[in-house]
Amino acid sequence: MKIVALGVLAPAAWYRIRQAADVPDLAWAAGDYRLQFFSEEENHFLDQLMEMIIPAEEHSPGASAAQVSLFADRMVSSGDADEKREWRTGLKLMRDEAAGSSIGDALAKAAAGESDPHTEIERFFVVLKRITVDGYYTSEIGIRQDLNYKGNTYLDRFLGCEASGGPARHPHATGDPKQ
Amino acid sequence: MRSYDVCVIGSGAAGGVMAKELCEGGAQVMMLEAGEELPPSRLLSHRWPYELPYRGLRGEKQAPFYPPDISPVVYQDCDHITVDRVRVLGGRTMHWNAVTLRYAPRDFRERTLAGIEEDWPLSYEEVEPYYEHIERNIGVCGQDDHLEILPAGKHYLPPLPWRCSERILARAAQTMGIPVIPVRKAVLTVPYDQRPPCHYCGHCMEGCDVASIFSTPDCMLPKARATGNFTLRQNAIAREILTDQEGRARGVSFIDRNTKKEEEVGARIVVVCCATIESARLLLNSRSPRHPQGLGNSNGVVGRYLHGHHGGGVNVYLDELAGTKPVNQDGATDHVYIPRYNQLAGRREYAGGWGVQVNFNSYMFPYQARQLHGYGRDFKAQVRHLQPGFLFLGTFCKATASAENAVTLDPHRVDAYGIPIPVIHYCFSENDRAMWRDQAQSLVELCARLKATVFTHIGQEPSGFASHEVGTVRMGKDPRTSSLNSFCQSHEVKNLFVTDGSCFTTSSEKNPTLTIMALSARAADYIKRQRRLGEL
Repeated sequence: MKIVALGVLAPAAWYRIRQAADVPDLAWAAGDYRLQFFSEEENHFLDQLMEMIIPAEEHSPGASAAQVSLFADRMVSSGDADEKREWRTGLKLMRDEAAGSSIGDALAKAAAGESDPHTEIERFFVVLKRITVDGYYTSEIGIRQDLNYKGNTYLDRFLGCEASGGPARHPHATGDPKQ
Repeated sequence: MRSYDVCVIGSGAAGGVMAKELCEGGAQVMMLEAGEELPPSRLLSHRWPYELPYRGLRGEKQAPFYPPDISPVVYQDCDHITVDRVRVLGGRTMHWNAVTLRYAPRDFRERTLAGIEEDWPLSYEEVEPYYEHIERNIGVCGQDDHLEILPAGKHYLPPLPWRCSERILARAAQTMGIPVIPVRKAVLTVPYDQRPPCHYCGHCMEGCDVASIFSTPDCMLPKARATGNFTLRQNAIAREILTDQEGRARGVSFIDRNTKKEEEVGARIVVVCCATIESARLLLNSRSPRHPQGLGNSNGVVGRYLHGHHGGGVNVYLDELAGTKPVNQDGATDHVYIPRYNQLAGRREYAGGWGVQVNFNSYMFPYQARQLHGYGRDFKAQVRHLQPGFLFLGTFCKATASAENAVTLDPHRVDAYGIPIPVIHYCFSENDRAMWRDQAQSLVELCARLKATVFTHIGQEPSGFASHEVGTVRMGKDPRTSSLNSFCQSHEVKNLFVTDGSCFTTSSEKNPTLTIMALSARAADYIKRQRRLGEL
């Protein structure tokens, strides 16, 4: 049963706690993932768009290697009707635009209004970029290879600033306990 | 129907203290808990996002604390607030951040000092021995910073080491006369209370799988069980407190979550520890000829004076640390704290103030990626560049207690167990809004003194309650405007006590849980004395 808010807009909360509709298997492997919402063509197109948003470069792989389009399919297919409609329409807009120029130009055009989106394609870019970001930076490639995140582990002591090799020009501040 | 000396309803911060103290005092205690035990093996705190069905983006890590049968709640004509209700053994101690701050003497005297709200019916001096008792019992890391606004105890575990970002913050804050101190948290930095020290994984609020953070099941219930006086009934949803012909409590009617059958337990004393919304709900639903408006509610105060914290947040990426080699910064979330400082510069046009918590957001997800414009190589590189410089500031502002803000019952809508659902009515006051504007300005000013990329999340208006809602069964000197006396005892029903956050007369800017525990310990002491005297 969902928490119901009647009569007012959903209030801003410190923690967006929404109950997962179900927590079936704990993990889903991209390897045996089957598309639930996007067609093969849509998925391929989306994959290209996402790779342009977060591309592979010397430092780390991009959104394509991280299979972010499959993540998008997972999220959108389990989302509501409005979201699904938004994606169907948005992808079509992008493809139509790309048909007239190129994928790169279509993306650039959609992204041009990012700070203040007005047109439907500009609004779709914001949605597209957001899911690309969310999917990439929650992937193993994003977290470990790109950001080189060192945490989520078990330490027997916490290395504060000095001990962790922090820059020497951070002098001991008042109140900071000696390490 | 079995009968006990005491029935404690709820196993959170308040209920845990109650059960342990009363059992150690020789009482036969039955604890009812609507949820069930969540063992460490079922916590999802250490899971990587890519090991979760929706990458953790749909609250999967929190889902174990929020089973689907929690009653819905209605927000009616409300400002931007949400209330937080879990259903699990241990209550919110299962996923709290464990920041433990004592109220200051002034926090109990709002009416006298600021001319607003009401004074508490007790003073800091009367609560102080219980703050000390709880801190010693559970283990709190931190130190005495000799601040009037944040009194300290005599027994703290070693404070947490500071991150580089916190040193940089402290230097900038110093230029505004703002103190930054080691945080006080109920997290162990050395072995204590037969529990291991923290392993600094940063998952405090997703469930601690090693009992290094205080939780009722890890810390209080084993002590209660050790006395041989403790009985726990899980999956027991209290529906109504039963009374006798004189209007005294005589037991609790509850619904077994599995069988859906109604059962009763008898008790000479009933202690309600269900948390602010649910405690008021239970009392309002406990109607009888003697208590037509709900138990102990002939003055219509139960459910009123609902309030909590509001505030905003800022994601900061410090220039000095951007581009540096990533190190493990997870720690135990907050390592430092900014105590209330707005009183240092003299009077303002509003009463109260705010504290600032630091770095209780995750270091794993790059929030700046959701804010930076652009895409492609440069965007990706910029996200990566900023990440080591992450510093998060979140303000916690006092909100005023007002009789119009309340939780009531919807007589026409019931939850899955046939219990009327709570309806929330809440609007921020002018005092709240004035403070909210000032704290936003102060936060911006502080950030301006940091060389950094800053993304503020302050919003267009206040929003609450940061899971710190209090006040709906308030204690007070005047029985016309309060429900309880200073021992959390109902004015009307002598064998009824309410010791969770609902008993607060007013709210300080400080996190309420330590005060909840101290008040519970004080009430437990009173109950023990009264039992010895044969009064209860």
